[in-house]
Amino acid sequence: MRGKARTAGDRRPRGSGLWGDLDLRWMRVAAAILAGSGALGSAVGLTATSAWLIARAAEMPSPADLAIAAVLVRTLGIGRGALRYAERLRSHDTSLRGVASLRTRAYERLEAGRTAQVMTLPKGEIMARIGADLDAIGDVVVRALVPLGVAVVVSATAVGIVGSQHPGAAACLAACLVVAAILPAVLTARATRISQEEGAQTDAAVSVAALSALEGATEHRVWGTTAEAASLLDDANARQEQARESAARPAALAAAIHVLAAGVALVTAVLIGIAAVTSGDLTGPAAAVVALTPLAAFEAVGALPAASAQASRSRAAAARVRGLFESAGLNRSEPSLRPSPAPADDPDPRAAFPLELDRVRAAWPGGTPTSPVDARLAPGQVIGIIGPSGIGKTTLLLTMCGALPPVSGEARISGRRVTPADTGIRIAMTAEDAHVFGTSIIENLRVARGDVTHEEADRVLALVGLGPWLARQPEGLDTILGSGGLSVSGGERRRLLLARVLLHPAPIHLIDEPGEHLDEAGTDIVQAIVEESRAAGRSLVIVTHDHALLKVVDTVVDLGKVG
Amino acid sequence: MAPFDPRLVTRVGPTRPLLLILATLHAASAALVLLQALLLARLLAPVLSPTPLESDGLGALGALVPTSAREVRFGLTLLSAVVVGRAVLAWASERIAHRAGARVVSNLRSRVIGHVGSLGPRWLASGSAPGVNVLVTQGLEGLLPYFTRFLPSLLTAAMVTPLAVVMVTGLDLTSAAIVLVTLPLVPLFMWLVGRLTQTHSERHLASMVRLGSQTLDLIVGLPTLRSLGRSQGPAGRIHGLGEAHRKATMGSLRIAFLSGLVLELLTTLSVALVAVSMGFRLAGGSITIETALAVLVLAPEAYLPLRNIGLHFHASTNGIAAAEAAFALLDIPTPGRRGSEPAPNLAGLTLRLDALSIATPDGSLLAPADLTLEAHPGTVSALVGPNGEGKSTALLVLAGLVYPTSGTVTAVAPDGTTHLLSDDDTNGVEPETWSRQCAWVPQRPDLGPEGRSLSLGQRERLAVGRACESGRAILLLDEPTAHLDGQARQEVISAIRDAALRGAVVVVATHDDELMAAADLVVEARALDRAAGGTRP
Repeated sequence: MRGKARTAGDRRPRGSGLWGDLDLRWMRVAAAILAGSGALGSAVGLTATSAWLIARAAEMPSPADLAIAAVLVRTLGIGRGALRYAERLRSHDTSLRGVASLRTRAYERLEAGRTAQVMTLPKGEIMARIGADLDAIGDVVVRALVPLGVAVVVSATAVGIVGSQHPGAAACLAACLVVAAILPAVLTARATRISQEEGAQTDAAVSVAALSALEGATEHRVWGTTAEAASLLDDANARQEQARESAARPAALAAAIHVLAAGVALVTAVLIGIAAVTSGDLTGPAAAVVALTPLAAFEAVGALPAASAQASRSRAAAARVRGLFESAGLNRSEPSLRPSPAPADDPDPRAAFPLELDRVRAAWPGGTPTSPVDARLAPGQVIGIIGPSGIGKTTLLLTMCGALPPVSGEARISGRRVTPADTGIRIAMTAEDAHVFGTSIIENLRVARGDVTHEEADRVLALVGLGPWLARQPEGLDTILGSGGLSVSGGERRRLLLARVLLHPAPIHLIDEPGEHLDEAGTDIVQAIVEESRAAGRSLVIVTHDHALLKVVDTVVDLGKVG
Repeated sequence: MAPFDPRLVTRVGPTRPLLLILATLHAASAALVLLQALLLARLLAPVLSPTPLESDGLGALGALVPTSAREVRFGLTLLSAVVVGRAVLAWASERIAHRAGARVVSNLRSRVIGHVGSLGPRWLASGSAPGVNVLVTQGLEGLLPYFTRFLPSLLTAAMVTPLAVVMVTGLDLTSAAIVLVTLPLVPLFMWLVGRLTQTHSERHLASMVRLGSQTLDLIVGLPTLRSLGRSQGPAGRIHGLGEAHRKATMGSLRIAFLSGLVLELLTTLSVALVAVSMGFRLAGGSITIETALAVLVLAPEAYLPLRNIGLHFHASTNGIAAAEAAFALLDIPTPGRRGSEPAPNLAGLTLRLDALSIATPDGSLLAPADLTLEAHPGTVSALVGPNGEGKSTALLVLAGLVYPTSGTVTAVAPDGTTHLLSDDDTNGVEPETWSRQCAWVPQRPDLGPEGRSLSLGQRERLAVGRACESGRAILLLDEPTAHLDGQARQEVISAIRDAALRGAVVVVATHDDELMAAADLVVEARALDRAAGGTRP
């Protein structure tokens, strides 16, 4: 992830990989740790000060002698709640800033990936990585970094308070704090590992057995195997319980060690405190501070096991996100990949370009190439591509638009070789699963071209048969689509994508399965789009299963037959 | 939502002893925590008191910890024992809590699956089955943190808080008064804060969710944007949306964390007030140092469990919701016993469907409607017709798994005796004994866990083969050739014919011309739209 080669004027992520992308401002983290330490430190201070207050009061001084301690105790009583509130806000704010920065950088990184890979990233994969996984990376601030910092500061403070009275007692407390900080965290990490390794297998077995018992319930009734299915599930359950049991062992040990370490600290502190008063080394109030401070000192280190578990979750999430970047082909940059959209040698990308395919065989790296394809697409012409599924129709489209280099042969636009720089600019593509954004209808059309007017939008939507649908929406073109808005049927979605095709400025547009989810009217709509494009001198390439659509095209390329 | 669902105890048998043990361990642990406070008072009072101690500062509670614990060696021995005891109890209760959680999950999973299976194929096909699957494999997992985190803090609160209050009352009435006044304020203020901020937080939450999903949506659309040459613009917009999302989230957190603020403020401030009040009374000589020390250590213990409940509250909600969903499923009544006599041996009997109609679950459609069919032993009958006309449902009725809305299913013996498949418990044949003589193969047969790795076509061949070789009297095959190619299809068709030759009644539902051609009888199933009163368009 580190040190991506950068071209001039390129606004690419810098810094050290994913954690760098969090763009943490250390002052913010420090402020959160300070507030959190103030909160738990108040608790420690409250215990120490009230111990002093009680012990001093027992010496029957004048009330004025207690006044300062009394005020301090009350202040610390307020401090804990107030500072804890401040810490939670600060750390969440820092984490959210980090996630926002991560999202932006992740988009930039993905966007800079190899064109063909980027164009075919599965939506579910992006959703899971950019959604939950980036959140998990961000959680490292709130749930790992800040608790760790707070544990260090608060433990040091407690040791400092005790140390100011009795260095020996402070050393004992420090030793116990170190044990309580490290051992439970190590044991919890082991519990997490066990439950991930053994748990993953037993969980999968349970879910297969459950599914089989549930979906096959009627069959089990007919064949009299209900009891067998139930006992298979019981076995899977039992194995899962066993795996959980073995993860619970280190977890229980961690809990016990925490209690034991805190207890040992208390016992030694009481012993030292009593001995110091008896020998006259300490006054009563000082001994009370030494003896009772350990009662409150262990809360901060108690958060460390959870913090270490979060750190490993965040690391796992980061590894998955890196995997996504890898699959987008990051860092294996395409030569001459990102020139400015309109290089000097072709001043107007909207000018018509004849597209030529010269014995082009298309394939993903390592895949089986298609048979060689020869074709010529003049302005205003339409090519239809057919062939059985799996033969490489979509791969051929990716090669035609420049996203994938051909295995052999050459794809040319205006006589020069097609490159990734042409993708979307001179040769656009609408995939079968192209995305309809969760924004307004007009903004969804402006995805094709930023300056689409309301009049253009109305006209194009009417052309693809969405006129009546639009008329039914009270908000008109401003109707929000997608989750939380108007849900769009398969046919409506397909029509919206075709409207985008009409609005897009590229002289050549490749459409994967334009007729899918459209009824008989679909052919008429595709016909209308073809006519509209012809009139504008734009060319189309249509991949389809639907032979009815072939009557609107000029040339048919049958990938199952050519070669 | 109640924090504890008593059905988790009353209806989940195997956890009852575990929960009892867990409660006992927490009670013991509570006792040790409180004893520790008294021991500390006994140990420290003699060295902190300027004058030798005369009275027993622990009053009536002195009976719990003898004054001899003031002696350092004995006192520290007791204190060490308490510490070791607490560590052991912490270990044991963690183990038991994990075990109880895992058991409850297993138990509810098995019972829900068993019960849902007994609700019959119509219920399973009603669209609730995927929800059940998610519940038993993922939802119920929410009970683990419920048992390991939330329930222990609930138990501690139920034991430690009241005991601590009683002990403080026995030691010092003024401190008890402070505790008794402030304790109820905690839930009261949290409730008030919740009420006052509800509309605010709902609004913030809505915009937070919206902005979050917009950002994701934009990134998910990257492949589309790249295909259209428009992918370079949105980075700035994603940043803007991220900022807006952060602001909305912070708005909601500022409110959400208020209840935490109130909780911490009240609990800590109360402890501070107790300490200060005792300090001045101690200086005035109205209480003793031993009493003051005991109360000083006890008072925070009364509040601590409340804080922990707040801390782990979110762990409870998913678990409780999953348990509620599971119990709701378990409460769906199973269809009662039907039929009064066991089925006769169906071998050699003719199956007769007479004017059979079955309403769809929503009641709008009869599918099939008015289906009549006589299937003789040694023949293959094919039910044909478009999807959704009720072919599969007719097979379920023939198998005794679904009851017709109207019409009858009868087995007719060669001598003319009839056996009516019944749906009441006063007469006719018990469906269960009938089903056991049928070999029914659904469209997507299940062959147990190991069958899950096979393709649909392979599963289909194996399942149809099993049915044909089963020797059962009635073969009911739902689209047995749908996922097969030429060769395999021929093999399956001849296996079906062979089974018929051996004397079975075979009824298939199919779209396959070859299978129709191999059938002795072809009957078309038709649905009827009840509202329109005519066949469906």
